[in-house]
Amino acid sequence: MSALNNPVIAVIVSLVIAVGYFTLVDHYLMEMQGLDFWYLFRQ
Amino acid sequence: MGVVTRKKLFSIIALGAMVVALLLPIVMALPSPATGEEAPAAEGAQKEGEKVEKARDVYYKTEGIVVGAPAPKTTDGPADYPRYNFESRVLLWFANQQHLYYGSFVLAVPIFCMIIEFMGVVTKDKALAKRYDQLAYDFIKISLTAYSLTAILGGILIFTFLTLYPTFFSYLSSIFRPVMHIYALMFVAESGTLYIYYYGWDKMKEGFLKWIHLSMSVILNVIGTLLMFLANSWIGFMMSPAGVDEQGRYLGNIWHVIHTALWNPLNLHRILGNMAFGGGVVAAYAAYKFLAAKTDEERAHYDWMGYIAMALGVAFLIPLPFAGYWLMREVYAYRQQMGITLMGGLLAWLFIIQATMIGILFLSTNYYLWQAMGRMRGAEKYQRYIKYLVFLLACGFMVFITPHTMVMTPAELKAMGGQQHPVLGNYGVMSAKNGGINVIITTTVLSFVWYMRGNKISTVSWARFGNIFMGVFFACAYINIIFLAIYGYYIPANVRVGLSVPQVATTLSCLFFMFTLNSMMMKGAKQLGPIEWGKISARSQYALIMLATAFTWMMGLMGYIRSSVRLFWHVNEIMRDNSPWAYTHTVGFAANVISANVLFFWISILFVFWLGSLTAKKAPVEAKVGVPGAIPQPAGSH
Repeated sequence: MSALNNPVIAVIVSLVIAVGYFTLVDHYLMEMQGLDFWYLFRQ
Repeated sequence: MGVVTRKKLFSIIALGAMVVALLLPIVMALPSPATGEEAPAAEGAQKEGEKVEKARDVYYKTEGIVVGAPAPKTTDGPADYPRYNFESRVLLWFANQQHLYYGSFVLAVPIFCMIIEFMGVVTKDKALAKRYDQLAYDFIKISLTAYSLTAILGGILIFTFLTLYPTFFSYLSSIFRPVMHIYALMFVAESGTLYIYYYGWDKMKEGFLKWIHLSMSVILNVIGTLLMFLANSWIGFMMSPAGVDEQGRYLGNIWHVIHTALWNPLNLHRILGNMAFGGGVVAAYAAYKFLAAKTDEERAHYDWMGYIAMALGVAFLIPLPFAGYWLMREVYAYRQQMGITLMGGLLAWLFIIQATMIGILFLSTNYYLWQAMGRMRGAEKYQRYIKYLVFLLACGFMVFITPHTMVMTPAELKAMGGQQHPVLGNYGVMSAKNGGINVIITTTVLSFVWYMRGNKISTVSWARFGNIFMGVFFACAYINIIFLAIYGYYIPANVRVGLSVPQVATTLSCLFFMFTLNSMMMKGAKQLGPIEWGKISARSQYALIMLATAFTWMMGLMGYIRSSVRLFWHVNEIMRDNSPWAYTHTVGFAANVISANVLFFWISILFVFWLGSLTAKKAPVEAKVGVPGAIPQPAGSH
């Protein structure tokens, strides 16, 4: 736990969790509606 | 038999009577939805050797035996539309709106009472439990006079219907005849339960009896909610009829008539709306009492009451836009043209006013929370960041109120070469507006988190990581919401409509995860000092009054929008409105009538509050409870 309290490690771990979580939310919640979240990137 | 045992027995009998009162009307109604009323009608028809006529349900598309008369074709005259020398529709609008304001208030307050009384029962701190109990009692006392007024206004509403729209009302009541008596009986059950709940408060103060009393509040609220669901089925039927054929003839299945396409979205939206409205009204009452208070003790009590009412109201205000979004999606699914009339046509500018009011609600809430940080030591550390929150709120607000289309004359349309405005046509799309409101709600969540940790310092071993994670999560949430709002401009409309779901999920993730994380971090936290109730600026109390007034105005506006969308129909596509008032009012006229309604409601409810204060003065003054560090009791204890 002490390593996590290191600000640099804390920011990196937090960013990985938050960015990963929101990417999954965007992808799957669009897919549930039958829509493609990555529509523009596939053009 | 001992006194206590007798008390227990009587309280159980009273609770049993309430449950019977709740179930009796439902049991009485069971034969009609179960077997359908077509059975006796069909038998009668066969006896006379007549042919049984079948027809198709306009919504469910199922076949049913015709048992009702077709919807009457009205004509403009004294038979169908008798009138005074005034627009009948405005008179009905006024009667309806006042009944709704009071009805929603007296439905919301007992739910608050139930929550607060429950908090009092489960709280281990005796002094705090006593204060919660006193607060719940104060709440129900306010609603009792309002309850009588609601019934009177309901009577006035029925007389207005019968006098000004007799043909329409007789048709609607003929369709809903199988459940009309249930509504009336539920009303009797609600009254009886409310009076036993209120007058039994002191008799059922301790132990087992207190739990019985709390159970009564649950029954009271179930009855109240069922009452509202029934009333919602009438407006649901008028907007999206079901259970009848194309001529409006009843097909014998009352469940189809009640369970229309828009019934459940309306139910959810109205429950949340009532709660937010009730919280606003009680908070405004507390603010008024705070401003009029003469002693520090009174100020402390009403400051606390205002905060609790505001917190409960806002707890229901936050999910309210999402429930509204579901209602609008269902409107589009039911009739696309109806949705376009609302959001992109005749009534679109009323939605711009609505967006403005929603923005005002959230701005007032945030302002109150920032002011409320002034009553705790240690919250100064957040003061310098508030300007950034103001910036976020202002940006979100401006995006939220930007329109997509303009109301134009034919000449302007021609000059512009179409409906699309050369500048505005690029803005105001739904994913951008959703981005705006989600930024506002996320900022409100952030303000709440700051308020909850204002006078505390976390002592858990992972406190630094927790703080950094919270900051990063909020930052990523903002980036995701704003990214999705901008992304909507680069993808086709049919993909864009789906972006609202991840936006909402992002906001709700902040709400649930950050509140949970914050409460985990604040377990056993070091207190920098107690919350000094009553030490808050007068401006904060005006913010509470602003919150309540804005909500009242918005409720009037949304009721008008929902009614107007039927255009020239009494019952959409079934029964036409042939009165001289089957047109849509101008935005200005509608706004003036809404303002008059709001003014009348607030003047009349101030009278109700004043009446309540008269009874408080007569009550015996309880001795002060000297609990160190506790908030003093108000003088007018029950």
